[in-house]
Amino acid sequence: MKLLKIALKSAWNRKVSISLAMFSIAISILLLLGVDTIRKQAKDNFINTISQTDLIVGARTSPINLLLYSIFHIGSATNNISYARYEEIASFKQVKWSVPISLGDSHRGFRVMGTDSDYFRYYRYANTQSLQLQQGEVFKDVYDAVVGYDVAQSLGYPLGHNIVLSHGIAATKFSEHADKPFRIVGILKKTNTPVDRTVLVSLQGIEAIHIDWQSGARSALRISAKKARQMGLQPKSITAFMLGVDNRITLFGLQRKINNFPNESLLAIMPGVTLASLWQTMGEFEKVLMAVSALVLLAGLIGLLTALLTTLNERRREMAVLRAVGAHAYHVVVLFALEALLVVMGGALLGIAILYAMQVIMQPIIAENYGLFLSIKMLDAEQIVILLAALLLAIILSLIPGFIAYKRSLQDGLMVKI
Amino acid sequence: MTKPVIQLSNIRFRYSEQDQDVLDIADLQVYQGEHLFIQGASGRGKTTLLNIITGINPPYTGQVQVLDTPLQTLSSIQSDQFRVDHLGIIFQQFNLLPYLSLLENVQLPCWFSSKRRTQAVDVEQSSTDLLTQLRIPERLFNKPASALSVGQQQRVAVARALIGKPAIIIADEPTSALDTDNRKRFLDLLFSQADKQNSTVVFVSHDQYIAQHFSRVIDISDINQAINHTATVS
Repeated sequence: MKLLKIALKSAWNRKVSISLAMFSIAISILLLLGVDTIRKQAKDNFINTISQTDLIVGARTSPINLLLYSIFHIGSATNNISYARYEEIASFKQVKWSVPISLGDSHRGFRVMGTDSDYFRYYRYANTQSLQLQQGEVFKDVYDAVVGYDVAQSLGYPLGHNIVLSHGIAATKFSEHADKPFRIVGILKKTNTPVDRTVLVSLQGIEAIHIDWQSGARSALRISAKKARQMGLQPKSITAFMLGVDNRITLFGLQRKINNFPNESLLAIMPGVTLASLWQTMGEFEKVLMAVSALVLLAGLIGLLTALLTTLNERRREMAVLRAVGAHAYHVVVLFALEALLVVMGGALLGIAILYAMQVIMQPIIAENYGLFLSIKMLDAEQIVILLAALLLAIILSLIPGFIAYKRSLQDGLMVKI
Repeated sequence: MTKPVIQLSNIRFRYSEQDQDVLDIADLQVYQGEHLFIQGASGRGKTTLLNIITGINPPYTGQVQVLDTPLQTLSSIQSDQFRVDHLGIIFQQFNLLPYLSLLENVQLPCWFSSKRRTQAVDVEQSSTDLLTQLRIPERLFNKPASALSVGQQQRVAVARALIGKPAIIIADEPTSALDTDNRKRFLDLLFSQADKQNSTVVFVSHDQYIAQHFSRVIDISDINQAINHTATVS
């Protein structure tokens, strides 16, 4: 205990260089834990985007592409599926539920997704969460729309507001479906998934706005919103669909059956598997980031070692005095280890404090700009291992100046003449 | 005559990188309660002799007995412990840890030695008493040691050497940084305190003017055969 007191007071005596070393350790710990936190939370957010959906089916493309456009609304489909084919598969006896998805339109930068009311029943995210309405109700009429939380927030839309959808993904005045406005009947609660940034309408609504369009351009034949309503509006094609099975044992068989469908080239993917493989591709990048952060921590620790080594000469006297009053030579080693421990522990605590402060400050900003919701959690076991490893490494490094000082104090004896 | 507290017989010492002995002493005995002054010019092995008596550097041959304990039988950790238990040490200068207060500096040996702690009875009381007797103003007691003048620092070093009543006080030129007036006063304080607790004083210095204050004076050249040997060879 007295040794700890000596170590503390001695360190305080050199507080400028010690606190600089501590600060550099704090920054590297912050970086390492920060990268680790963001990577884990991004993965959680990502993996949580869709759950309890057994298969996603679309026109044949790569599994990752299908996942990206159907769930993340990134990129677009290469081809559509005919609605008849969808109904055929949906009626298979293994299929418990199915939800069609029709993409291709947008509203002021937000994707529009046509679907049916089953979407609200079966879509799950973050394991078991279903979509909840913050205000209003699910669409019933052809020209009803339900908007995601971010859409309502960033455009300031109240219930009952009328919106105009645009054809395609780029919003240009020339391709607006201005003659068939939609009324917002529901606003969803925040989900931290791409749904927040989506406008949901019925398949019939999608059908209605395209009824007088051909090959992506408006035909000369104009059909009013009112007239369209009476035209049956049976969808002809959809972009993709999600389905759930009764018994998961039948899943592989069903997937194979869909993939080998004779009349239409289809692709059925298990979202979990594809999410994992997609994450793995990005995981390489994640490893590089972690490696860079680890190197920064190592640099911080070497900085600490340098700080300890430069004090060796000025502390020669101190060690001789301690030896004269009864400190053993190994106490000298312990003093250096204690000092390193002190610096790294102080640095780690400071780093963790900054990390949490930054999370609190950055949480709304990151959620808004990147759709990544950081939940503020305790450090996990892996992060505690990282901290302990840093402490251990610091102690090991401190043995270098410790042993030099030990050797010197043996040589110097009591009578150092400096 | 009282019994010897330090006995050296036929010791020879050289540093590992040297091929000649720096110390070769056939016989040296220091008696209980003595004030022994070992004088000699620099480089004659005075400090080396102190390193041998304090068990820091063991001689490669010969016997060193301190307080009936043959030092060569002690392990390095035992000899560190023996040193703090029985010896109070004062350096030429820079005796104190600048970041500790005066009281903490004085109490340092008691942190490492339970024997000194027990002999001090009340460490806190004992350290303030010693500082008071050595005429350190009380307002400085809790100040860091770096705030003191050299003369004050040397007196605090004496207090530290004396606390817990060690049997022997070893001093390596503690007066060389002091002026003549302070030197005399320093020695008076050292002797009176040492006598009070019946400690033996072994004091080395090149300064022969202070020799008159000691009960026994030895010239290192007279006992260190290594110097004479080197002299005759060269």
